[in-house]
Amino acid sequence: MRRFTAALFLLGLGVMIAAIYQHIDFGNTAVNAGQEINAVAAGETGAANFVTSVVLAYRGIDTLLELTILFTAAMIGGMVLGRRRVDAPRDPDAGFILRTGADLLFPLLLVVGMYIILHGHLTPGGGFQGGVILAAAFFVPLLARPGIMLIDQRIVSLVEGLAGAVFIIIGLLAMFEGYEFLTPLYDKGELGALISAGSLPVLYLAVGIKVGSELAGLLAHLAEAEALD
Amino acid sequence: MNLLVLMITLPLLTAFLLSIINRASIFAARVIGPLVLLATASIGISVWSQLGAAPLAVQWGGFQAPLGITLYADQFGLLFALAITIGTLLLWPKSSENQLRSSSLALLLAGTGSGLALSGDLFNIYVFYELMTVVSYGLIAGRGTSGSFASTLRYLVISGFGAALALAGIALVYQATGTLNLAQLAQLSPEKLNNMQGFAAFVLMLIGFGVKAELFPVNMWVPEVYATASSRVSALLAGVVSKLALLIIMRLLILVFHQPEALTVLLVLGILGVASGELAAWRARDLNRMLAFSSIGQLGVMFIALSIPGNAGIFAALAVAVHHLFLKPSMFLLAERWGGSIKGLAGAAATSPVGAALFVLLSLSLIGVPPLPGFWAKLLVIMPLLALDQPLYYFAAFVILAAASLEANYLFRVVMKLYDKEPAGKPHRPHATADLATAVFLGAGLAAAVFMLVPLADRLDSIAAQATDVSAYIQAVAPQSLETGRVQ
Amino acid sequence: MDILDTNMILYSAAFGLMLIGIGGIVISNHLIRIIFGIALLEAGANLLLLLSTYHEGASAPIIVNGNMPAMMADPVPQALVLTAIVIGVGILALALSLAIRVQRAYGTLDMREVRLKLEQEISDEAGIGMPSSSDKPADIRKLPFNSVIQQEGGS
Repeated sequence: MRRFTAALFLLGLGVMIAAIYQHIDFGNTAVNAGQEINAVAAGETGAANFVTSVVLAYRGIDTLLELTILFTAAMIGGMVLGRRRVDAPRDPDAGFILRTGADLLFPLLLVVGMYIILHGHLTPGGGFQGGVILAAAFFVPLLARPGIMLIDQRIVSLVEGLAGAVFIIIGLLAMFEGYEFLTPLYDKGELGALISAGSLPVLYLAVGIKVGSELAGLLAHLAEAEALD
Repeated sequence: MNLLVLMITLPLLTAFLLSIINRASIFAARVIGPLVLLATASIGISVWSQLGAAPLAVQWGGFQAPLGITLYADQFGLLFALAITIGTLLLWPKSSENQLRSSSLALLLAGTGSGLALSGDLFNIYVFYELMTVVSYGLIAGRGTSGSFASTLRYLVISGFGAALALAGIALVYQATGTLNLAQLAQLSPEKLNNMQGFAAFVLMLIGFGVKAELFPVNMWVPEVYATASSRVSALLAGVVSKLALLIIMRLLILVFHQPEALTVLLVLGILGVASGELAAWRARDLNRMLAFSSIGQLGVMFIALSIPGNAGIFAALAVAVHHLFLKPSMFLLAERWGGSIKGLAGAAATSPVGAALFVLLSLSLIGVPPLPGFWAKLLVIMPLLALDQPLYYFAAFVILAAASLEANYLFRVVMKLYDKEPAGKPHRPHATADLATAVFLGAGLAAAVFMLVPLADRLDSIAAQATDVSAYIQAVAPQSLETGRVQ
Repeated sequence: MDILDTNMILYSAAFGLMLIGIGGIVISNHLIRIIFGIALLEAGANLLLLLSTYHEGASAPIIVNGNMPAMMADPVPQALVLTAIVIGVGILALALSLAIRVQRAYGTLDMREVRLKLEQEISDEAGIGMPSSSDKPADIRKLPFNSVIQQEGGS
């Protein structure tokens, strides 16, 4: 019975989607905010990568909220999973290939991650992408040697909170200067140089560190959760 | 007016820094949460008093609409932003071993709720909505029992499903109009969204945002969550958070989607919600789930009210929403000690007479007995329904009245058990002072509304009129930049 | 409308992913499959959002070596999808943590059994019996289906 209603529901959805298909004007979208942004972003924010200017400048508050979602998810994940019993059995260390590979990859991933974060306003990439790579950098050794965390959990939560606060404080600084919250500050610099686009690289750095520490903490918590017998 | 952004960002900042503050001084960490909420509530009240008739629009980051995101403060949005801030303050989580996390979550809830009520951009609303969902996961699962984890998981599945649908709806809107700013959407929607694509987008977003508003097909999470979460959390979720989700749907209905089919969908889902909620409440045998089903029914009434075209619909929905805002949290606070089987409540009035009397007052207002405000709220819904002179609307009015008789039945069943002469097995403990005080405070607000009915009604009417004034909305977000945004 | 038009293929992919995801959530009984269904559904919705302002032949909205490309893609959906993906990741991680705890508490990952045990827990806490229906014997109710997951050793 349940499968029948489920099939009926999917059929109804399919019909609705077929109806939508006939009405979507493919490839011919309206004159819109996006093209306007493409026209003015270089002048207003100084970032060569327009997606960065949208993420951090035009829609900076969305980025702040996204960080908050990650923060909350990590906090709740920690709360739900609880602490591991001290005498709980652990997985054994992984084989030779994984251990050596993890040791080799760790510095590489760190460098690549930081590069992507710092060049977010010039090339595709930015805080989120680089942050995920940083999280992977700390997680791969954990896979190779379960139980040995490279960074203490408390330091991770400290870095999380501070990085998020730095983001908001930069935004509030703009308010103190008389602008609105999260207006880009500082000199725009020369388009295409590493030091340019005002406070945008600093914001992305905070984002990258926060995302990296949060995801690393969350993944470590998940990996540390007691093995289910 | 820049201070308005502090209403959103200050609680967020405090939540981030709470664990660091805790290392410095435990007392400070305990106290700073309510202090911050007190500060943001006073900011909200001061902006409200300075607002006057013209709504206020602030741009995040100083970028002009439609490139940037608008923070739009009219009395309607400010009312609900204040409601969630003060509500979180009143229903602050009790001391427990997870106090730090509960405080962070409560602060995040207040900041997010304010942002949701005041936002003027479609995707910004979506992100605020997702954040509020994640925070409510934490609040529900914070109780720590296995039941709370299971109910959170069910809520997560339904909510994730709805969120992806809402995202698809936003994609359709963006494809058709090229903008996400509500003011510009209000300008463009008569030409661009008055078709099948617009209707599909509305239905998708309705299901998506309706998960929290306990809309008919996606409200299966409600009884389990309210039964397994702590009473304060249930009070917050049922009382305030569901109204915020309703506010989003109201804004979309007023500004963007003007099709009559949208109203029909709302009417049908509202009728189904009222019917299913009240019937299930009638059959419930424990107090928590009875209140949960009853809130589904009341939200169904609000959806029926929204389906009335024009200003009358928004006014009626607002009246029922504000009434429910005071009513449900108070009932859930009473259910803190009385949660459990209704049969076991026999004789509980002896141990807590004030609570029992309060429960009687709240039940009368819920059913809609004059002169209590619940009667006037339901009247505001039923009169326009009858005036519309169409069969479906007549049926809706009949359903609401039938639901009222069902409510009378099951609520008075509880009341008679409360005042039963022979007590049940073990006597109930009297209510905790904090809970009882807050519940009495909310109930007193309801009772006071009886005496201030006319000014209150006028105020709600003006709020609704300001909310439905689409041209004032567009005007406030600065029409000049919207003009340049439209021309390439 | 050419059936092999790029736009059609991409939109079909987006809607198809969404349908498969919804199918997974609605039909399946195993918790992990439901979570996978949510992940697929979100992937489909993200793809749909990216497709909303798709122009064939548009290049990335980045200024490379000082010159702006002639037709640039829309940066706004890219930023939106960035946000949506991160939100999805956070929610999936939460879902998995909750699934671990539920498995630990109830010993099963079958949604039907979890709901049954949840109902039992709520009823026990409230002190009332399990809800019964009128066309069923009035004793303990056995699960009418074969729980495949439990037979596989609960791994």
